[in-house]
Amino acid sequence: MTPPKHILGTFDEALSSLRNNVLMMAGLAERTLDRAVKGLLQRDDSLCTTAIADDEEIDQLEKQIDKDGVDVLLRFQPVASDLRRVVAAMKLSPNIERIADQATNIARRARKLNRHPPLPEEIIVPIQAHAMAMFKDSIDAFSREDVDLGRAVVARDKELDYMNKMANRRLTECMAQDPKQLRGYLNLIFVSRCLERVGDHATNIAEDAVYVAAAEDIRHQTVATGT
Amino acid sequence: MVSLLEMPQTLPQQLPRQNDRPADETESAEIMIDVRDLDFAYGGNKVLHNVSLDVPAQAVTAFIGPSGCGKTTLLRCINRMNDLIEGARITGGAIHLGGVDINAPEVDVVDLRRRVGMVFQKSNPFPKSIYENISYGLRIAGVNKRSQIDEAVEKSLRAAALWDEVKERLGANAFGLSGGQQQRLCIARALAVEPDVVLMDEPCSALDPIATAKIEELIHELKAQYTIVIVTHNMQQAGRVSDHTGFFYLGKLIEFGPTTKIFTNPSEKRTEDYITGRFG
Repeated sequence: MTPPKHILGTFDEALSSLRNNVLMMAGLAERTLDRAVKGLLQRDDSLCTTAIADDEEIDQLEKQIDKDGVDVLLRFQPVASDLRRVVAAMKLSPNIERIADQATNIARRARKLNRHPPLPEEIIVPIQAHAMAMFKDSIDAFSREDVDLGRAVVARDKELDYMNKMANRRLTECMAQDPKQLRGYLNLIFVSRCLERVGDHATNIAEDAVYVAAAEDIRHQTVATGT
Repeated sequence: MVSLLEMPQTLPQQLPRQNDRPADETESAEIMIDVRDLDFAYGGNKVLHNVSLDVPAQAVTAFIGPSGCGKTTLLRCINRMNDLIEGARITGGAIHLGGVDINAPEVDVVDLRRRVGMVFQKSNPFPKSIYENISYGLRIAGVNKRSQIDEAVEKSLRAAALWDEVKERLGANAFGLSGGQQQRLCIARALAVEPDVVLMDEPCSALDPIATAKIEELIHELKAQYTIVIVTHNMQQAGRVSDHTGFFYLGKLIEFGPTTKIFTNPSEKRTEDYITGRFG
């Protein structure tokens, strides 16, 4: 949702630049995650290496967003929805950066797995699809200031946790049946865990998206309400 | 050493200070000024339209809005300063101070202005000594006992956080003080007659940031004893000093509520557009 034009054009520019950097960072993180998982599924080391290299650019964007956010707070002292947008941008970027870190971890594990005989790597495909969809939707919720989509993303995290748990169970069984590939299965368990963490960060992003759009803090509601 | 198990019993004693109560806790607070369905006109020009709001006692209420929105007019209605302007009159509604209609015929305007002090945009000390500036209101009110006046002068200057800076030169001309000190002197002068309410019309607009910070700190301290209504164009200041904020536009009260709510998630789009700088 685009707010009406600000009296100060420079403020609109600064806010727009902050938002564009967050969206660019999210786009890069999404691409990195995609490359890392493809590197595993297609046994392509070069994709893994590219995914690892991409992380540097994302790290730099995180620093840039922090710097720009502080600059906007200092220069314009935003309030109301503007303040929420700046605060959310500064909170989103560490979560996106952590998603990119998870992609890097996956890529590193993938390079190790690629040196072993094939394992049931396809087990992570639905987990990756679910985690990636959560991430994309959380960014959409932020970008469009869509409260319903944000809430929906948060609700989907439990399913991802369950998928990760089931994958771990199955891979543990495989380890018992095929102890020679113990290290490979452990790497796959680690990849599954990384994707589950992507879901956690997507949940954080979705919660911040709801905060931006509705000024409502939906974090830790089970604790707050005692339910 | 306090054991961890004992800590929950000791911690609440430090929380919270009365002066730091959250704004939403003042919802049930005593109402000092009750403005109801107020209409006001300068001659044929109606400038306030059906304004209703409750100003809580011992809290800071800020009025914000663009120039000409009626916020200063409303402020001046509260101690009937507008009576001094020819053709200016309330055309509907009423203002009650502590339950009394301030425009009722039996109300003594001088007494009302003693109960409702005012501080203006530009400091306006009398061309007299610091001491005489403070004692003037008391003498007008019939207080002549020197010891009583001395006590009131010191008390007022202390309350206005000025005593330590001027105690050695009470006989000096007030015009020798800095702008910030002069404004605090005017606040002390208003406090000397022990008002219930202090109205402040852009009290920091002519001051530098240090003097402004001192006045804001003073406002924070004064609200423990006084009801304060402040008109300001500085929205950061409204956010810092006030518990409640009213946004006015074209003579109408658009939104009134806890300051935290107004500045984080206002209910009205016009409020949001104004405070975020997207107005007009």
